[in-house]
Amino acid sequence: MTSTSLKVKGLGRQFGTVLALDNFSIEVPKGELISLLGPSGCGKTTALRIIAGLEKSDAGEVHLNEKNITNVSAHLRNMGMVFQAYSLFPHLNVSENVAFGLKMRKISRSERTKRVNKMLELVGLDHHHKRFAHQLSGGQQQRVALARALVIEPEVLLLDEPLSALDAQVRTNLREEIRRLQIELGTTTLFVTHDQEEAMAISDRVGVMNKGRLEQLDTPDVLYNRPTNDFVASFVGTMNHLPANLVNGTVEIFGKTLPTQKTGNETGKVNVLVRPESIQVTPSETSANATVVTRSFLGAASRVLCKTDDGTIIHSLITNSSSDSLHPGSKVKLEILSREVMVTNV
Amino acid sequence: MKKISNYVSKNILSTTILLVAAFFLFLPLIGATEFSLRDGGPDRHSFRSYKWIFEQSGFKENLGVTFKVTALAVVLNLLIMVPTVTWLHISGQKYRRLVEVVTILPLIIPVVALATGAQTALPSFLHNTVLELSFMYVVIAMPYSYRALDIGMSGKPLNTYVAAARNLGASWLKVLLTVITPCIWPSVLAALFLTVALSLGEFTLAQLLHWSTFPTWVSNVSQENILGATALSVGSLFSAWLLLFGFTFFGSNKTDSSKDKE
Repeated sequence: MTSTSLKVKGLGRQFGTVLALDNFSIEVPKGELISLLGPSGCGKTTALRIIAGLEKSDAGEVHLNEKNITNVSAHLRNMGMVFQAYSLFPHLNVSENVAFGLKMRKISRSERTKRVNKMLELVGLDHHHKRFAHQLSGGQQQRVALARALVIEPEVLLLDEPLSALDAQVRTNLREEIRRLQIELGTTTLFVTHDQEEAMAISDRVGVMNKGRLEQLDTPDVLYNRPTNDFVASFVGTMNHLPANLVNGTVEIFGKTLPTQKTGNETGKVNVLVRPESIQVTPSETSANATVVTRSFLGAASRVLCKTDDGTIIHSLITNSSSDSLHPGSKVKLEILSREVMVTNV
Repeated sequence: MKKISNYVSKNILSTTILLVAAFFLFLPLIGATEFSLRDGGPDRHSFRSYKWIFEQSGFKENLGVTFKVTALAVVLNLLIMVPTVTWLHISGQKYRRLVEVVTILPLIIPVVALATGAQTALPSFLHNTVLELSFMYVVIAMPYSYRALDIGMSGKPLNTYVAAARNLGASWLKVLLTVITPCIWPSVLAALFLTVALSLGEFTLAQLLHWSTFPTWVSNVSQENILGATALSVGSLFSAWLLLFGFTFFGSNKTDSSKDKE
């Protein structure tokens, strides 16, 4: 049975007039990887720094393994952290950098060497012991930083956008590696990112943050398919917001009446949330209800932007074979593929 | 062709400037060295004047005092300045302007005022102890040491280094000793050089505070023997250079290890 490793209750932090964290709470069970996802300035890094003890909070508490560590100094928290900026100490080589935390813990030299070697092997840098930071690529530096954070066997691993300074290819490889290591070592991890693909790809659960608040914390699948509010719906993936009238819990979109998550006899104006892949686009001269604006080739699929007769722009994602005949100006018929749709109040 | 002639004319100009500067720096030195080696006339040379220095009473004692004051000034300076400048860079950014102005003050305030200030402001238990002069040397070295350390820390992601070190279990003292200081080692060395050079040659404050240090002793004994006085000046200059070269060698050895290529 998994128990909660990290518990954060009601954190608040204000910088001048800016509210960076507003009653932020989260629980991370042992061994789980949770991502905090949100736009810049949403407070995710502040939350991480408060958890690490590098920043003071105005309100709230941080508990680690049922112990209140809110006032415990950063160097006594036993948390590993990898930063967005390259943080390897320039005067120490790779081995010495990785051994730094062990040295601070007064671990014997032989034990240090053993653990450093093992950790560098795990991150695939076992031939770079004597190199200095300036002799390593960005990806390698972040691997060393990861090894340095993990070698101390931290209670919690905190990752503060560790991949954002890297090239796309290195980023993808390294994120897979972080996940592999995290599962292998069973380290409870909190990962901060503004890249939703990154968050969705490696997390057990993702917490979407906005204006210092945690909007929704769920598995990537639930977050994508059943967002609880407009912000999450628009921030995670692309979402079409179609204005419609709710009648007895149903809406009519493109001539089709669909049930919604609303029950009973609720009525009124709503926004219907539809993912681009749930919209079918077929060329049609007779029953057309939209016109193609642009078509962009994405590799595996194409993104087609259409404008409905009432002027709403619709994003759709369709396979290349079915988009061959679609060109800007083509008359098309739009249809919803889902059997049920999500709506939010206007 | 034009490029080459430009390069040559630029080169000629810079070489000329260099030669003129070298001439003004070295000619008096060469002249003084030659003069200090004279023995009874311009044709005979020996180390008699240098021997004379060691025969004067108070040589060892005053040199000892100067070394003691210098060593203390260096230690105090680094103990005060490294943590202060680090703090200014990490979390006290808004006070940087103010500190910059404060560190300039020792250059503006006349030494007489500093000496009077020292006598009234320093706690009485420090009066007439080596610390009295050392503290004053820390003050007059501050404009230089502050700038040396400030330049060393600017442009370095100190905040990230500190956060990483704290996170890995380093106390603030360990952060300063094992991360910050080695990271800015050349600047620490520069601050040390400047304090050493300033303390070794400082005369006015020592004289005003009634201290007998090597520079005040040199001033006294040189009244009697002009050749000896020149030998003393040349001797102290070369010894100071030797000392600073020693520090450079020691310091660069340490910084070179961080640039060691595999």
